[in-house]
This record gives sequence, structure tokens and C-alpha cells, in this order.
Amino acid sequence: MSLLAPLALLLGLLAGPIILLYMLRLRRQEVPVSSVMLWEKLLRDREANAPWQRLRRNLLLLLQLLTLAALVLALTRPFWPIPTIASGSVVVLLDGSASMLATDVEPNRFTVATREVERLIGSLSGQDRMTIILVGQAPTVLAAAANDRALLRQALSEAAALPVTADWEAAFALAAGAAQGFQEATILLISDGGVRGNLPPLPAEVVYLPIGTASENLAISALATRPMAGDLQLLASVTNYGRQAQQTLLTLDVDGRLFDSRRLNVPAGETTSLSWELPLGATAVSAQLQPQGEDFLAADNQAWAINQGGLNRRVLLITEGNLFLEQIFTLLPGLTSFKASPAAVASQGAGDRFDLTIWDGVPLPDPPPDGDLLIINPQGENPLLRVTGVFTETTLSRFSDAPLTQFVEWGDLRIRQAQQVTAPWAETVIGGQGGPLLLAGERDGRRVVILTFDLRDSDLPLRIAFPILMANITEWLNPGQIVERHAYQPGDLVALKPPPGSTAVIITYPDGRQRTLIPGEELLAINDTWLTGLYQLTLREPGGERPGGHFAVNLFDQQESDITVAAAVQIGEAAVVQASDKDVGQREIWPWLALAALLLLMVEWWVFYRG
Amino acid sequence: MSLFDEATLRKLEQLTLVADRVRVGVMKGDRRSRKRGSSVEFADYRNYVQGDDLRRLDWNIYARLERPFIKLLEEEEDLAVHLLLDCSGSMAWPPDDPETHKLSYGLRLAGALGHIGLSGGDLVQVVLLQGDSSRRWGPFRGRQNSLRLFQFLESATAVGPTNLNHSLRQYAQRARRPGLIFILSDLFSPDGYQDGLTALQSRGYEVGLVHILSPDEVAPEAGGDLKLVDVETGQHTEISLDQATLALYRERLQGWQTEIATHCRRRQIHYIPVVTDLPWDRLILQTIRAAGVVK
Repeated sequence: MSLLAPLALLLGLLAGPIILLYMLRLRRQEVPVSSVMLWEKLLRDREANAPWQRLRRNLLLLLQLLTLAALVLALTRPFWPIPTIASGSVVVLLDGSASMLATDVEPNRFTVATREVERLIGSLSGQDRMTIILVGQAPTVLAAAANDRALLRQALSEAAALPVTADWEAAFALAAGAAQGFQEATILLISDGGVRGNLPPLPAEVVYLPIGTASENLAISALATRPMAGDLQLLASVTNYGRQAQQTLLTLDVDGRLFDSRRLNVPAGETTSLSWELPLGATAVSAQLQPQGEDFLAADNQAWAINQGGLNRRVLLITEGNLFLEQIFTLLPGLTSFKASPAAVASQGAGDRFDLTIWDGVPLPDPPPDGDLLIINPQGENPLLRVTGVFTETTLSRFSDAPLTQFVEWGDLRIRQAQQVTAPWAETVIGGQGGPLLLAGERDGRRVVILTFDLRDSDLPLRIAFPILMANITEWLNPGQIVERHAYQPGDLVALKPPPGSTAVIITYPDGRQRTLIPGEELLAINDTWLTGLYQLTLREPGGERPGGHFAVNLFDQQESDITVAAAVQIGEAAVVQASDKDVGQREIWPWLALAALLLLMVEWWVFYRG
Repeated sequence: MSLFDEATLRKLEQLTLVADRVRVGVMKGDRRSRKRGSSVEFADYRNYVQGDDLRRLDWNIYARLERPFIKLLEEEEDLAVHLLLDCSGSMAWPPDDPETHKLSYGLRLAGALGHIGLSGGDLVQVVLLQGDSSRRWGPFRGRQNSLRLFQFLESATAVGPTNLNHSLRQYAQRARRPGLIFILSDLFSPDGYQDGLTALQSRGYEVGLVHILSPDEVAPEAGGDLKLVDVETGQHTEISLDQATLALYRERLQGWQTEIATHCRRRQIHYIPVVTDLPWDRLILQTIRAAGVVK
């Protein structure tokens, strides 16, 4: 045992005053009595057990001296040297990703990892500091350069692993920053070794503490639907990441009803893929694995898929007649298109509400109708844009990297003339020398795309770029689609785009919890998608509520599903192998001494009052 | 100090001292004999002493001899009453509370018993025991002496040590006429009291032992670590007065009193333990009456 603050021993000199006070206290007060005869008899009797009496008389002094000794010893901060994996200031990278939920160690890898960190907190010595970084989808600093054990333990107790993919690059960047604050730092990596990515070298010694023992895990590695030759096909892959062949039962539910159940044999380290023909109207598919053998990660045993064709979007094309547009919107999947003449729209209005309205060479009414807009060859002046003239210098000169132009091969597109359009809220996606040709932007909660030329004045409809551009435009405008995709990974940010006229979007989580978002009042996005499963969307409109589709959250991450514990971690050029208890930590025992002092004080009090 | 008021004196005059075992009456008293059926018969003459009832004077003898003689009749007897009051230093306790002061209490009790005796025609002698010397009053007879008795008692002080055994033995040897003897003391006499009592009994005295203690002697209060100083002897003892010690003290005191009571019962001594917070008239009218020495 050694002392961190030996100077505190000087406080032991306080024993002098205590003994002095005790001696002073023993100078008894003189009290006259009528006779001491009886008292003397009494004393004679008591002297029969005099040693005990003498001890009892001095017991208070003894207890007070012991209390002082315990307090002084506590103040000297004595410690036992204990073996530890890292000493000095430590930056802990605590893996909180999906693979740490594996139950091959009791109760799971993450809990075991937190216990290791607690052990390390216990051996933290006086001047050393600790930073704890929880490595999840986005790394979180739980405690920064702290020496307060209670604070560190509190921060640690609030940490939880989630079924997410760990972002090791960001975590390493954070750790490198944290380690620079310390003089001699150790970066401790507590993980099961699923550390991948373009990892930067770290400016301090790295110690790796692997957690976990087994690698047996069966996972649904893919589940997707695709239309094929008028049918709907479902594809599922089951991967065995373990070292032994596994038998499993794969159960499929379509729209809440049991569809099929198959027994699979998956050899070790291999993937078995299966396909089914689904009924055309199928919307939501869920697959569940029931492994017959060992399977230590449950988060990847279920998967969900949404059929995108399940929800049709309504498109209104307002044109005097445009064969190209009529054709292309008939061909694009997932769209139900309607056509109206400008005269009918002007006299009767657009009628029903449409997710997307295409104005082809037709002036927009004031105010513009609800829903997303594709304005081709704009006319006149309205709240959205102003046409100021015509330009003919249409050689393409500006391209911006936007989703709208993805995969579009422009080549030497020829345009006879285009309208000079002013729309300050919109961004020019494609610009000609004389002015913008394709503009896109958001205005009043809707997305608007403007093609400033008449399609018939260009060779665009004849090019292969045309259907791709139109598909991109409708995809970007995303009419009727509340979410941009139908499959996410846990923790992904899901942006919601309710159709115009909706007063609220209600999200029902897989566990039945509901959350309501009000358009215009708050950010229409959620990122607490930690649970895998189906998320249902419901739209609230003035007329009532209606279903708004689903989206699925699946783990689908080979890095996380592969729960094999790595013996070493490759960081930059160096391989970091498993740590051992080679360092010497300090276990301070002053809290026990302080407790002993308190107990002694209580005993002294009791003895005093008991007499 | 006035020991008694008029009403109390009247009350006391109703009482009579009773001695079961002493029959040494040499002179006529107001005491009604316990002997039944005896007639009024002449027994003897004796010299008149101050305080004797003049009605008992034999006027014929006086006319003839011009000396006063008292005629004694057999069926009436008188009783020699001895009141021995311990006036040692320990009796001057508690010093700050006159209500429960042991000496005052003892003096008042002696006065009461003396008045009863004088009123009953008994021969009363009072002795204040103080060290080797002792102050005496009497023997006197007749109630007209009560006032003088009271005056004598009022002059008493308690100081110095007293050896109770020694004093009692000495008194027993000197006694000319044994009778009913009351010893009023706190018995805080390190050398004991038993031998003295035995000596008195052997001389034919009927002994009443009134054991006077003050309330703070019976139930002292806790006071921490103290040095107790004996006001009588100057001896001191160091003690830590805690609850356990006090409990032990109470136990000891009770044991001591039981020991005295047992000793007295065995020797047919009237033992009357008294705590000075007991109203003294209640002591006379109840406690001492219950002991059978006053009727």
C-alpha cells in the first residue's frame, strides 16, 4: 500500500489535543454530598470488575483516537496497486453498435464492455483523466477528460448499445482530438472487433480489449421486392456468419398474413438466397428467422420489405396536346396519369387533388394549385415566376450536380428557343448561355421544377436522356411519397414530405408508439428509428385520416451481423492486438476508511450516551 | 423558628406514646395502664419535679412537711421518653432546601414526639448527639415544658462527625431510667449503629429508629464525572455518575435499608424509614402510628 498524500499524516498530531482535552475532562468537578458511605460501598463492588471499568473509562478516548486515525489515513489517500489494462489518462472508445448486442456473453457484450470500463474507472488514479466515447451511428462523448468517478460512472450508466452501424472513422477522429489534450494518453478500444473503414492513425498508444467469445449468427441479409414481367417477385437472402452449418425456419408474412414458411440449411460462412412470387397487391412483407441452433444476435433475424408499386400516385397533365408527355407519364411506374385541357381546367378547376400537376405551355392560375408542379414552357406572370422574354442562346453552359440530372447524358442538346424566366427561389439546374433551362426549388411547401422551353422546340424528347430526366423529375418531385425511400437502416434520418393539405403526419413505430408531426410547425423528419420493423404513416387531413404508406427499418449490415470477435484490429499500418493486464493501476481505499471513521464515530456516540 | 403552630400542638396533644415492652413507671402519669381490672391504689411517693401535674401533688404531705411530693398510683404509669437526635454534619442536608432539610425535619419530629410525651405526663429527655459531646435537655415532665423544649431544639445545629455506636453505647451506660427511646438519624455513620442499639436494648430500652433521608439521597441525579466530597468527614471519592451507576446506587440504598429493617425486626426495634419530602404531620399521624409507638 502506498500513499498519494503522505503529508496528511501530519494531521495525526491532532491526537495530542484530543488526549489533552480528555485529560482536562477527567479533572472532576467537586460536588459535596451528605455522605460518601454508600458511594464507597458502590465503588468497592464495581472494582470487582475493575479492568473492564478501566477500559470502559478509556473506551471513548480509544474510539476517538481510532476515528482520527481512520480520517487521517483516508486523507493520505492510500491505494493498492492493481493490475489494469491501461493506466494514466485514457480515452475509451466503447463500441455501442448492433454487434455488441450479441448475447454470447452474459447478459450481452455491451454490458460486459461497460463493466470493463467501470473496472478501469475504479483503478483511475488521482491525476488521471478519462474520456469515454460511445461509438454508435454517430459517436457520442459521454464524459470528457473527467476525473470524477461518480460522474464517469453516471455517464457510463446512461450509455446503451443500439442496433446501428458504428461510425469508426468519426469515432477515431474524436478520440484523436481527445487524446491530444492528455500528456500520456492511452486509447482503449473496447469492441468485438468490427472495426472497419478508412481509419486514421491515432496519436497515442492504442490498446484493444476484445469482448465476446462466439461468432454463431444467422441473419437475413437481404429482403426486397421487384416487379418482374407483370409479377411481383420477393428476394430473400439468409447468411450464416458462424463456423457451423445452421438449420433455420424462414417465415414470410405478407400484409400481416402468413404467406410461406421454409426450412433452410445454411452452410457456415455462406449465403442462401430464395425467391417467391407475391400477389400483385402486396404492400408489406416481413420475414422472420427461427434458428434451430445457436444464434447470438437477434436484431438481424427479422426483416421487412415494402412494395413500392403498392401506392399509386395521381398525376394531372394539363396540355393542349403533347404526345411525348402523355406517353412518358403512361410508361413511368407507380403513376396514374390524367389529362385535362387548359380550357376545362380554367372553367372547372383541377377537380380532385393531384399529387403532381404538369402545366405544359399553360399559364398558371393565381394562386397556383396545391401539390407539386412541373412547369414546362411557362407563360405569363404568377406568384411563382415571371417570364420576361425569350432567348435563343441555348447552348448548355451550366450543369449542377443535382439528383435531377443523375444518369442524364445531355450530349449536344439542341433547343430552338427558351423563355427567359425569373424565379429567385429556384436553383438553376441546367443553364444555357442566354438563361436557365431547368430550374428546381421548393416554394410554399411544395416542390416545383421548371423547364423553360417547349419540348417540341428541342430534340430532347427524341433522346435517351428524356425518359431518364422525366423519371428523375418525378422521383424528385416524389408526388404522393411521404418518405423518399422505403427501406432505411436503424438510426437513419427519415425526412417526411406530406402531400399538400395534410395537417399532420402520424408515425406509428414498430412497438406501437405514435408520434405526430405538424407540417409548418416543426421539422418533418425523425431520426429515432432505432427499432427495426415497419413504421406506419398516417396522414391527417381536414376530411379525416388516411393511410400514408410504410417504411421499413432493417439492420442489413454485414459488418454488424458478423459478430466474430477479431483477435486484432488494423489501424492504419499497425495491427493492434489484444490487451493484457500489464499496467499497474491504483485502487484507492479512502472511501472505506472514511466509512470506518463514520462508523467509529457512531459507536463513540453510542458509548457516550449509553454511559 | 417556630416548630409548630397552635392547631398542630392541639392535634399532637391527642396522641400518646406507647411502649409495649417498657414498664418502669416510677411515678404517676396520664397514661392509661394496659393492665386491666386494677383498682386505684397507692403505690409510692416521689419527689416533685418541675412540670409535674399539680393535681397529683399530695397536699396533705405538703402541709405537713412543706415539701412537695407526688403520689403515685399503681394503675397509672409514666414513661421515660428519650429522644436522641443525630446532629452530625451529614444531617445538615440538603443545604439549600429548608423544606427537606434533614436536621430541621428531625428537630420537628423530636419536638412533636417530645410534646406528645410531655402532654401525656411522660418524662421526656432530649439529647442532641454531636461528636463526643452531646447537649441534653431534661428530663422534664408536663406540657408546660413544651415551649422550653422547642426553644432548646431551635438552637440545635448539625456539624462535625458523629460516631453513632459510641454515642449510643455511652448513653446506654449513663441511663438511669430506661424507657422508650427514639433515635433520629440518617445512619451515615461509617462505624455502624448496631452495637449502640444492642447496648440500649440490653439496658431495657424500647428502641424506635427513625431513619431520615433526603430525596436527593434516595434518588440522586446524573451529573457526569464527579468528585464527591463528604460534608461530614471531608472524605472524597471519584465517580462517574451515569445511569448505570445511579441504578446501582438505588439498588445499594434499598439493600442497605432492607438490611437495617431486617436487623431491627430481628431485635424488635421499631424501624421507621423516612424521606424528608413526606409531610411531617403525615409522618406522625400515619407512619409513626403505623409503627405502633404512637397511639
